[in-house]
Amino acid sequence: MFFRMLIESFVRRRSRKLLAVAAVWIGLSLVIGLLALGLDVGDKLNREMRSFGANIQLQPAEAAVDVRVGGYELVAPGRTVYLDEADLPRLKQIFWRNNILAFAPRLTTQARLAGRSVPLVGTWFNHHVLLEDADPFVTGAAEVFPYWQARGAWPMNPESCLVGAALAQELDLGPGDRVELTTDQRSTSVRIVGVLTSGKDEDEAIVAPLSVVQRLAGLPGKVAEVQISALTTPENKLAERYGRDPQSLTPAEYERWVCTPYPGSVAADIQNAVPGSSARVVRRVAETQGAVLGRIDGLMLLLGIFVLIASTLSIMGVLSSAVLERRGEVALLQAVGAHRADVLRLFLTEAVAIGLAGGVLAALTGQVLGGWLLRVIFDSASEPHGVLLILAPLLGLLIAVAASVPPVWRTVHQQAARLLRGV
Amino acid sequence: MNQSAVLLEYVTRAYPGGVRAVDGVNLKIALGEWVALMGPSGSGKTTLLNLLDGLDRPTDGCVHVMGQNLLQLDVDEAATFRRENVGLIFQQFHLVSYLTAVENVMLAQYYHSMVDKQEALLALERVQLADRAHHLPSQLSGGEQQRVCIARALINDPKIILADEPTGNLDEDNADRVVKIFQRLHREGRTLVIATHDPDLGRLAQRIVCLRHGQIVEECSPDGSDAAPRATGAGASHDRDVMHVTAS
Repeated sequence: MFFRMLIESFVRRRSRKLLAVAAVWIGLSLVIGLLALGLDVGDKLNREMRSFGANIQLQPAEAAVDVRVGGYELVAPGRTVYLDEADLPRLKQIFWRNNILAFAPRLTTQARLAGRSVPLVGTWFNHHVLLEDADPFVTGAAEVFPYWQARGAWPMNPESCLVGAALAQELDLGPGDRVELTTDQRSTSVRIVGVLTSGKDEDEAIVAPLSVVQRLAGLPGKVAEVQISALTTPENKLAERYGRDPQSLTPAEYERWVCTPYPGSVAADIQNAVPGSSARVVRRVAETQGAVLGRIDGLMLLLGIFVLIASTLSIMGVLSSAVLERRGEVALLQAVGAHRADVLRLFLTEAVAIGLAGGVLAALTGQVLGGWLLRVIFDSASEPHGVLLILAPLLGLLIAVAASVPPVWRTVHQQAARLLRGV
Repeated sequence: MNQSAVLLEYVTRAYPGGVRAVDGVNLKIALGEWVALMGPSGSGKTTLLNLLDGLDRPTDGCVHVMGQNLLQLDVDEAATFRRENVGLIFQQFHLVSYLTAVENVMLAQYYHSMVDKQEALLALERVQLADRAHHLPSQLSGGEQQRVCIARALINDPKIILADEPTGNLDEDNADRVVKIFQRLHREGRTLVIATHDPDLGRLAQRIVCLRHGQIVEECSPDGSDAAPRATGAGASHDRDVMHVTAS
């Protein structure tokens, strides 16, 4: 009979039940939509902020130790150290491999061009990094430095290069020109395919594929540094403490630090993967990203709380009035012998069903709403979030029960005789 | 001495503000007796019925129904007492709007013991509503709804039936049908306490208890032969106030 009452209550009072489900559905859709956006917005903003450039720099360990004694470097001139290009695929095999968005090695030397010495920079362009058990990872300077602008084309073979905008103007060079680059070891002829504007030193240089520069410098398979663009979490007090004194962390805190993609922990992971390397966080970039992301996260949290409160109040209003208008029914059930717990069980089961139904709908439409917002704001598609599929029905259930308990509780504790008289 | 169905001793129900809906009532009703509570609106008839069924509690005095002191029961124990002993009939019917006639009857079975649809259908047949068993209350006339209410009140074989203006919202034909049901119930030996304005219904009772301002002002038999104007109020002695009328 209990289930018959429940079913009949839903079937024969469907307009009222639909209203209650709709209240939960619409209210929670806003909350879930905002949560879905909140879960994606950090990642999307992080990717957007790759335009700041690399946030981690990998160098040979000895080169990174900038120790001078009496004005002299400890690393002797002529004993410059390098990283092996062959080790770079390891960057996509580390624990945080999915957070490594792009990387580009760099090797710089001096070359003679038109009778003068010019910087020659070697890097990757549209380079396919071969990985075990995975598709090749395509990366290069254009991915790491989104602010690089090439008028013309990007070099796609070892016989092409870019010329920096300032140098091109000075030497009157442009796309299509062929130039002869000469070093102490070798010389080669390359064709200029584009004019590069980076706003940095590269504007004064010839930028060529890494293999060209390695050959001219007589350093086959070597790179001087690697610029890495990684998805990271803004640093918090834990990360700051680690930065100041790694020994100050308890084992549990260290575990948390290692398992969170702080710039420092990702850098440490990279450093461990590449032999003889030292990974350094580019603070200027990481801190700017961290500050922006921290504020966005705070804003989303605040908005989420406000929307959750507003939605909860509106849902509670609808469900409470739905219960209050059935006070006569509550009194009748007590009159024919129902205990207070019987009445509570009936109404709370209804509330659970309403909350779950509204929550399941909200889990779907909320994610659609969040995806739509993401598309409008970031022009980017979103992945469904499994956690929201569970969270939304759970929230719906909690809100519906919380909304129903007070009015039912008050009603079963009122005098049934008065309620039956409609007082 | 025969057990009484109802024994009220100096029962008062006062509300905040000093209003006394029932004021020092003493009343004894024998098992199997049919008593009509009569009086103008606001005289305390409904309040008195609610005190008898345990839906309300007196602010003073004792209420014994079927040998049970209702003051000793909490809300849930009073609900258990009702489903075991009392059949309630309301002027406004109070049917659950989303349940059919037979489901409304089964509702009382559910809270009493176990649901038996065939028995519920038989109960509707006894009030001549077998053909309307699967209709919703909104599809039934007032008289039909009242008969569903009566079937629900009778389904658990209650020892005492309390009815509040059972014919108040009915036309003459439907009122006649309901009256015949009460006569049959009385013949079956059930105790009936019926609050009514209807003198025709009142005359069918064995005893008429007249209320005014919450006090019993008169008790009489319908033919007037046993008319007994009473001293009333809380100060009246129990022996004088309680009239013993044996069911015929």
